[in-house]
Amino acid sequence: MRCTDACVYPFPLGDSSVRRMAQEAGELGFDSIVAVGARRCIFRGVEVVSGTVIQGTDQGEVQAALRKLGGDPGIVMATAGDYALNRALLHTSRVRILRGIHATPRNSFDHILSRIAAERQVAVDIDLSILVSGRDYARQRALQRYADLTRLQSRVGFPLTLSSGARSILQMKSTRDIFALCSIFGMDEDGVEGAFLGIANALCPEKAVEVVE
Amino acid sequence: MKPRPPTMRGKRRYILARLDPPSVTFSGRDLYYAIAESLTSLYGDSGMACIEPSVVSCTGGYAIIRCTRSTEGRVVAGLAAVHQVQEVSVAVRSIRTSGTMRSLRRHLAGMGPGAPLGEQDAYFQGRSWTGVQYPGGKVDLFEKGFKNQQPLFLTEEDLEE
Repeated sequence: MRCTDACVYPFPLGDSSVRRMAQEAGELGFDSIVAVGARRCIFRGVEVVSGTVIQGTDQGEVQAALRKLGGDPGIVMATAGDYALNRALLHTSRVRILRGIHATPRNSFDHILSRIAAERQVAVDIDLSILVSGRDYARQRALQRYADLTRLQSRVGFPLTLSSGARSILQMKSTRDIFALCSIFGMDEDGVEGAFLGIANALCPEKAVEVVE
Repeated sequence: MKPRPPTMRGKRRYILARLDPPSVTFSGRDLYYAIAESLTSLYGDSGMACIEPSVVSCTGGYAIIRCTRSTEGRVVAGLAAVHQVQEVSVAVRSIRTSGTMRSLRRHLAGMGPGAPLGEQDAYFQGRSWTGVQYPGGKVDLFEKGFKNQQPLFLTEEDLEE
C-alpha cells in the first residue's frame, strides 16, 4: 500500500460500485482505496480497505457511535469538530483518522493537538473534494486550513492522508491531479508522497520498540 | 504581415486530457468555458491572463489544451477542479504534458480505444437498465424511461451477482 485514496463512498452512498471504483483507482495510479461501507477485498490488483465514518457533536455521541460499530468496521474515521471534540477524538483509541478539518474553526487543531496526533499516530485527512466542488469562501477557507495543516505537519510530523471524497468515479482524482491540487496550498511532492502512505501507517503504526527476529 | 520568427514567439506547452465518461460529447468551446471558469476561480484574472489557456482539439473523448510554458502545473490543477461541463458531470483527467502537439498525438495513437463496445439490456436492483459496455469489463447503466438521469458505474462482475 504505497499510494492510497483515503476515502471514497461507493454504491449505495455514491453512484459507482466498489469494484468499479477500485478499477478506476488502479488506472489513476493508486494501489489501494479506503471505501466507506465496503468489505475488504482485492479487485484487479487494487486493495480495498473498509472504512467507517463516525460523526458526533460531542464525545458522548462519538462513544455511542463507536459502541454501535460491528465486529470489523475497518479504518474508523471521525469527523472533526471544535477543539474539545478533536482532543477527545485523538485520545479515542479506535479512531485512526480525523476527517473534515477544513470545516472546523481555525483554532480547533493547533500545535498541541498536532503533537498528540503525532504521539498517538492518528492521521489527519485532507479532503480534496472541497477544492473541486467548493467555490469562493468555502474553498478559500479550506485552502487556508490545508496550508496551515501542511505547515504544522512539517514541524510536528503527525500522519496525513489524502482523499478524493469521491461518490462517483468521475470525482476520483489521479495521482498527477492530486500533486497539482496539493501544490495550490503549498504541499510539495515529498509531502504528497508521504501522505499517500498515511493509510499504510495507520494500519501498521510504528511502535516504540519492535522485535525483529 | 511577416510571421514572427520561432525564437521570438512565446513558448507553449500542450496538455493531453481524457474526458470521462466517454459517452458524453461536448464541443471544444464548452470545454474551454469550463476550464476558464475553473482557472479564473482558482488563480484569478491575472493568473488566467498569464496562463492563456486554449482548447486546441476536443475529439474522441480526448482534448489537447495549450498554455504558456511554466504554467502547466496550474492548468493541471485547474483541469482537476473541473467537475461539470454544461451542467453535465464530467472528469477531465490530464494524462501528459508536452512541448509539441505531435508528440501528444503520437502518444494518443498508442493508447487503447475508449469507445463503447456495445449496449445491452441489464437488470439491476430490481429495475431495467440500458448497459453501455466499455473495455476492461466496465458497464455504465442508464435507467430506461428516464431522460437526463445520472448513470450508475459498475463492472460486469456487479451485474453477474
